[in-house]
Amino acid sequence: MEPFIGGLMALADPQLLVLIFAATLAGVIIGALPGLNATTGAALLLPFTITMDPIPAIAILTTIYCAATFAGAITAILINTPGTSASATTCLDGYPLAQRGEAGRALGMATVSSTFGGIISVVCLMAAAPLMARAAYNFAPPEYFALTVFGLSMLATIGDGSPVKNLIAGALGVLAATVGKDLLTTVERFTFGMSELTEGIGFVPVMIGLFGISELLVQADRLTVERRQVIMKAVKLPSRDDYRKVWKTILRSSGIGTFIGILPAEGATVASMIGYNEARRWSKTPEEFGKGAIEGIAGSEAANNSATGGAMVPTLALGIPGSPTAAVILAGLMIHGLQPGPTMFTEQAEFAFAIFWAMLFVNLLFIFIGLFGAKLFARITFVPVQILWPIVFTFSIVGAYALDQSFLDVWIAIGSGILGYFMRRFGYSVVPLAIGLILGGMVEKRLGQSLIMLDDQWWLMFTRPLSLLFFALTFLALFGPLLWRRFFTQRDPLKSMGE
Amino acid sequence: MTRFAVPIGLIAFCALAYWQTTQFDRVPPILLRGMQPADFPQMVLLLIVVLSMLLIVQAWLARGVEAEGGDPGADHEPMTGNVWKTMGLFLVFAALASFDLFLGLGVFAGCLAFLWGERRIVMLAVVTLVAPACVFFLFDEVFEVRFPRGLLTNLWYG
Repeated sequence: MEPFIGGLMALADPQLLVLIFAATLAGVIIGALPGLNATTGAALLLPFTITMDPIPAIAILTTIYCAATFAGAITAILINTPGTSASATTCLDGYPLAQRGEAGRALGMATVSSTFGGIISVVCLMAAAPLMARAAYNFAPPEYFALTVFGLSMLATIGDGSPVKNLIAGALGVLAATVGKDLLTTVERFTFGMSELTEGIGFVPVMIGLFGISELLVQADRLTVERRQVIMKAVKLPSRDDYRKVWKTILRSSGIGTFIGILPAEGATVASMIGYNEARRWSKTPEEFGKGAIEGIAGSEAANNSATGGAMVPTLALGIPGSPTAAVILAGLMIHGLQPGPTMFTEQAEFAFAIFWAMLFVNLLFIFIGLFGAKLFARITFVPVQILWPIVFTFSIVGAYALDQSFLDVWIAIGSGILGYFMRRFGYSVVPLAIGLILGGMVEKRLGQSLIMLDDQWWLMFTRPLSLLFFALTFLALFGPLLWRRFFTQRDPLKSMGE
Repeated sequence: MTRFAVPIGLIAFCALAYWQTTQFDRVPPILLRGMQPADFPQMVLLLIVVLSMLLIVQAWLARGVEAEGGDPGADHEPMTGNVWKTMGLFLVFAALASFDLFLGLGVFAGCLAFLWGERRIVMLAVVTLVAPACVFFLFDEVFEVRFPRGLLTNLWYG
């Protein structure tokens, strides 16, 4: 109970509250700006937090995460362009509603669903993260190794790309993490005589390059895309009838989003898709979906916002990022010398709870920002890309330089940006590469420790029940979809009848 | 063709990187705890090779579908001129940044805005002069980041 109240007290600092409010506005703007999303925003703002104390620094990053995820709905509804991929399903019903002159109702529903989804997930986070951490407290290196391998295996399912390509990208990230001094033997690897590389490749320049600079190149490809805004007279709250219609959907989607968020590497995008589908499946009027169903907006928005809280559970409790943005936050934790994992809830419990309270506060702020500022934020979408992206580039380069004040980091950021652009072009997601880079050091360290502990008899890892469980989950994550498809293709009676 | 070219390129990269791992120092067995420094990167490289081969097999099996026009995403539209020009501007930035980081940033930002169609002088001045200057003072004064000396930064640092 003490850290619970201590965290709240830490957040009671007026300066910090102002900072969180400013970060919420910044996050909403980032979510509304073309091409920027929560992950890019967090990566770009990471250098700003370096000189701060850990609580405000991580509170800002989590605020950006929640706010940008929420803001994606504004552009999805008003201009049929999701500000973030997590809001793609919100377009399906939000834009038709806006076209019918009910943009205010749609935005009101998105705001209320996001707020409820966010609050429910933070409450789950407050309860689940310490429990998960307590369960993980007795993990030995083999269990941690197996858990990290499971986290990496989940990269296969990120986005809509090929699982094999995702795994290759993740493995490239792990390989990049081996650059520098080997932790156990201090032998230099892949440094090519450059002293700046002995400590390894920094997370910040790679994140900035992969998410920021690669997006600049993607935007260069899309300069001709036109965006048209639907006229919105006023934002009004949903009616009592609307609430009656959607409360079950909000609860269901919040549960789905929180659960999906907890799964390593899965994030708000997957959550919103499942939340939307389930809303349609359970609806009494599924035929309205895609034509302006209010339940569709509620299902999608409650799910994607609740995934933010869910994603922070494995990030803080196990050190395994629950989503791409959580990976950036994890990098932020490491830069500040914090060790995510079970010890976070014993040695830094006040810090962890301060972050939870910050997330709760941000979700409450959405009500005011979403309802009173939506009209203004929708205009931000029309900032010309030819002004926005040169400024983003300036921030990216200075941000990449700022952490270690090394020019090499600038070249790493640009190199990562070009690499990221070509990866995206050829169907390789950049997210697994970023997560692989973060988890790569951990997985090697834990494998090394496991081998020392088991006296080089690696197969003994399979005799430990928890390790075996995580390896079984890894197998399921990698081959489950394949087996599932095969199993059901063979037994589908309609197919066997030729229908 | 990119469906074959990318995995083949990856295998070639892995071969090169694997050779590089053979050049790492080795720890004498008497002092060794756990793995040799090259072991883990080699395992990862082998994994990438196996996965790349799997991609080649997948591409080979799907070539019939491609021929029938069933997989339009398999090969790619050529990159637009804007992307090439933007990448060219990275080279301009690299050349100018060696004289001064903010000179490089200002010229890059101004040229990028112009290249992408901005013609308003005020807006070009904002991205070329105002934004880099604001970023410089923000990081220098607030975050106490010391930038490398150059033609422009010397005006401030003296």
